Amino acid sequence: MIRALGIAGALVAIAAGAMLLAGANPIMGFYALFEGALGGKSQIAETLVQTTSLLFPSLAVAFAFRAGLFNIGAEGQLIIGGLLAGLIGARLDAPGFIAIPILLIAGAAGGALWSSIAGLLRARFGGSEVIATLMLNIVAALLANYLVVGPLHSPGAAGPETAELPHGSWLPTLLPGTRLSLALPIALVLALVLRYLFDRTVFGYELRAAGSAPEAARRAGINLAKTAFIAMALSGAMAGLGGATIVTGVLHRFNVSLSPGYGFIAIAVALVGDLDPLKIIIASFAFGILQSGALTMQALAQVPKDVVSFVEGLAILALAARRFVAERLRVQPAE
Amino acid sequence: MSGLQDFVMLTLVKAAPLIFAALAGVICERAGILNIALEGQLTVGAFTAVAVSFATGSPLLGLLAGVLAGALVGMLLGVAATRFGVDQIVAGTGINLLAVGGAAFGLTVVFGQPGASSEVPALGSTGENVLIAFAFVAALLLHVALYKTPWGLRTRASGENPRAVRSAGVDPRTVRLIATALGGALAGLGGVYLSLGELDLYSDGMTAGRGFIALAAVIFGRWTPFGATGAALGFGALAALQFVLQRTGVPSELMQALPYLAALAALTGIAGRARAPQSDGVPYTE
Amino acid sequence: MNSPISSPSSFRSGAGGAALELRGVSKTYPGGVHAVRNADLAVFPGEIHALCGENGAGKTTLASIAAGKLKASAGTVLAHGNVGLVHQHFELVDRLRVWENVVLGYEPHRGLRLDATAAHERVVALSQEYGLAVDPDAIVENLPVGIAQRVELLRELARNPSVLILDEPTAVLAPAEIDALFATVRALAERGTAVLIITHKLQEVISHTSRITVMRAGEVVAHFETADTTVDEIARAMVGGELPKLATRVETNLKPALVLRGLTAGESSFAVRDATFDVEGGEIVGIAGVEGNGQSALADAIAGVIPYQGSIELAGATLPAGDPAGRIARGIRTIPQDRRREALVLTWSIVENVALGDQRRPPLCRGINLNREAERALAKSIVERFDVRTPSIEASVAALSGGNQQKVVVGRALAHDPKFLLVYQPTRGIDVGAAALVQSRLIEARNAGVAVLLISFELDEILALCDRVLVMYRGAIVGNFTRGAIDRGRIGSLMAGASALGAAS
Repeated sequence: MIRALGIAGALVAIAAGAMLLAGANPIMGFYALFEGALGGKSQIAETLVQTTSLLFPSLAVAFAFRAGLFNIGAEGQLIIGGLLAGLIGARLDAPGFIAIPILLIAGAAGGALWSSIAGLLRARFGGSEVIATLMLNIVAALLANYLVVGPLHSPGAAGPETAELPHGSWLPTLLPGTRLSLALPIALVLALVLRYLFDRTVFGYELRAAGSAPEAARRAGINLAKTAFIAMALSGAMAGLGGATIVTGVLHRFNVSLSPGYGFIAIAVALVGDLDPLKIIIASFAFGILQSGALTMQALAQVPKDVVSFVEGLAILALAARRFVAERLRVQPAE
Repeated sequence: MSGLQDFVMLTLVKAAPLIFAALAGVICERAGILNIALEGQLTVGAFTAVAVSFATGSPLLGLLAGVLAGALVGMLLGVAATRFGVDQIVAGTGINLLAVGGAAFGLTVVFGQPGASSEVPALGSTGENVLIAFAFVAALLLHVALYKTPWGLRTRASGENPRAVRSAGVDPRTVRLIATALGGALAGLGGVYLSLGELDLYSDGMTAGRGFIALAAVIFGRWTPFGATGAALGFGALAALQFVLQRTGVPSELMQALPYLAALAALTGIAGRARAPQSDGVPYTE
Repeated sequence: MNSPISSPSSFRSGAGGAALELRGVSKTYPGGVHAVRNADLAVFPGEIHALCGENGAGKTTLASIAAGKLKASAGTVLAHGNVGLVHQHFELVDRLRVWENVVLGYEPHRGLRLDATAAHERVVALSQEYGLAVDPDAIVENLPVGIAQRVELLRELARNPSVLILDEPTAVLAPAEIDALFATVRALAERGTAVLIITHKLQEVISHTSRITVMRAGEVVAHFETADTTVDEIARAMVGGELPKLATRVETNLKPALVLRGLTAGESSFAVRDATFDVEGGEIVGIAGVEGNGQSALADAIAGVIPYQGSIELAGATLPAGDPAGRIARGIRTIPQDRRREALVLTWSIVENVALGDQRRPPLCRGINLNREAERALAKSIVERFDVRTPSIEASVAALSGGNQQKVVVGRALAHDPKFLLVYQPTRGIDVGAAALVQSRLIEARNAGVAVLLISFELDEILALCDRVLVMYRGAIVGNFTRGAIDRGRIGSLMAGASALGAAS
């Protein structure tokens, strides 16, 4: 606990230093950050929007980690999920209670499909899912760009995006005038479901065994290849669902820049949250503050918003020290 | 055959930064460090070179600064992985975020504007050609160093069985740290090529995933310097091909995606089952 | 019964002329674990000194401290010259060549370049000087275990050590190789090297050493002159009392159980070839053999984790290959060789671990959920029946000693009335008390009609427990002895590769 506070303190100091370097006043900077994130109802709503957009991929990454897999491809899976939701949504004219589930499921399916490519390469060929998911991230962005600007271009769209979704397909807002939508409760429910899955179900048990002690799991009759594949697919589905909620709830269209790197920041969030779904909710909120406050910080205090990704990168390094390795408990040699 | 000549030249231009990054990947992985922060190291090298060139008016100083910056970021990965027990993948991801954010931040601080820097004194076409030639020289040097020197033996041993290195009286963590520093320096040089060699400025995202293509080149090249260079040349040719095919109907995104698709294919073992160093990516703790 | 037995004055610290001296050495790990407590040890030039103790007594830790690989928490280490250490599990770079391994860290070089010729010459010279024949260009991973050990030995000898420590050197050697090793060791001692051998093979201690130091629970508890002591006396010092007795064997009615026909599995020199034998309910069949002769392939094939040719039948029904889950369902249980990697999830509690393998079977599962109460009840029952020393069933198994971990594994295997038990090195790395308990439980299972196949590299264990003994050599079953006809010498020869003609049956 003391160590965590120490790390937080060091990060704050570094951030302050960076702000000074940019010729800005750090106190103004932090004030603007928190003002922008939590200063009023609409600010808090926007922070919660960012929280939600982070929560989906973070749960996805944590889920994969628990199963012993590195899903570095949440970004690409998110893009594909959003892409499918956007492409279908722009052309689908149906009442909300039909359209929205279709789009969300399409998003999840898209993400699952995308991650399954990596899952298949791993299960069938033993190929590293780290490399596979990294490569697929870039392919996803290229594919999205191509489809949306090229053959599947919507007549009403300007730029690398789809046309706007019909209003019926928008996720209902929780707070009028803000972008906060049903996506948040969906994400929270997902977190609770995952927590239950890990703690109480046989499937969760087998997943954790495969992740923590693959040889013991194999001899206990657990099918490692199948478990890894399913875990990758589900992980992708969660990230894809996140992309779909951004499309239906926040932007109301698909745009290739729909994610400022949520899939990568998710790795930090998953670690900060100790791979536990409930703690990840809190961690997502913390990072959500950073994301939504950054723009205000830039506008009000002239602090470049990139300081935030810089600090997020540092946070990953600092927080991962020792904790993650202990989690996985690489077995020490003979006693 | 001016068309062919142009194509070859373009291939070399496109391949050079990939070669540097791929060689960096080879050094690190041979020592046992899976370096997915190549992208970040390219970025840091590219940006620092431009910033220093801008500040001092000397592209040569910019080059040196870029290499040094790359080495420092490389060491950051090395230290995180060897002294602090940070998982290498996680550390690499953190460094990528750090580098990209830091460079974007730096743009505002140094140039007062986001997105891209102003034009700065660059290496010119002579400098560019020297760097391209040096890429191949570096490959040769690395090959000799890795297989014919004691340093190379210890480095390869650290990537296979760090415990054995320890019981031979050498600290594998130091070996790995040196490898990440050298690798970072090479990747930084690749970044310098992008910003001061090929062009004369830095812009957001100019590294465009080359750090990841380099990882693919390492796999295709079976973790050897010559193999990785060959693979990088292949990817460079693909990029050059993209220009040629631009006028035909082939979508540019498909061409751009080819190296990554090729890497995915390599994972199926089509490129043969060469084995990565046994302790590649495995942390060593005492 | 903890007082040291007879300490001749020459053992007291301060004796002149020792090549290696440890005084009051302690090693404490964070968390309060005392691996070594106040140990004194002196090894003199020209002697072959044995360091004996059970697993977990602290011998390897002490050796690492003596060799300078580990820092002591307290005490002093005095060494006159280099201290070489040959590990129990070799620390060689498998994919490099012999010469590269031998010179690693002390590479001959000309300027920046590695001088491969000089390195070759050095290896050949060392090899001749010490009588350890190796091919300098061979890749280590292709070498048989006995030769690989020579490579590590050469690496240490290249540093011209005044003290050489060998940690369990004969564990992986055939009898002939053991003789060769001790010949080398004697020659080294004659040249003045001080040799310290860590071993629990008391017969070898009596045959080859001159002095003995015994450790127990991290402390040095006894010193002996080899000429004046016996195996039993050393063993009692190691255990701190009388050796525990095993359960008694009873008459059983044999019933057909597991039948192997023509089983072939595994790769190259570690494969098992054309194994045909059966194990009946109510008997313990032992597979004797030196490590590396196909036992792992045999075990993995029976456990269903590798592909194989030939057939395995249980009670008349053929088992499908590659189906560990099915085997568990049919009552086949395994106690694997490496409990930390292959049997337990170290980060989990005892409760979660006891369900592993049965997580899909009621009562441990209820629908899609785990049944926590049933898990806890099972854990409690195993902890009681197997005397597992733990503060709580919710404690992580990583905190348990090796012996207690193994008890959990064995308890779990026996908990669901198995029909067939595959047991691989069940007492590796555990203290004598736990070992006796495990062995007794195996006998009791046999008495109750379970078919048990025991694979062990400790011939004593095989001979103590088994009704029948098979011998494996280079992947083939080369001998078959019933209990009454056991001939230890013959079995030893077969283990080393003598011809199979005239095997008793």
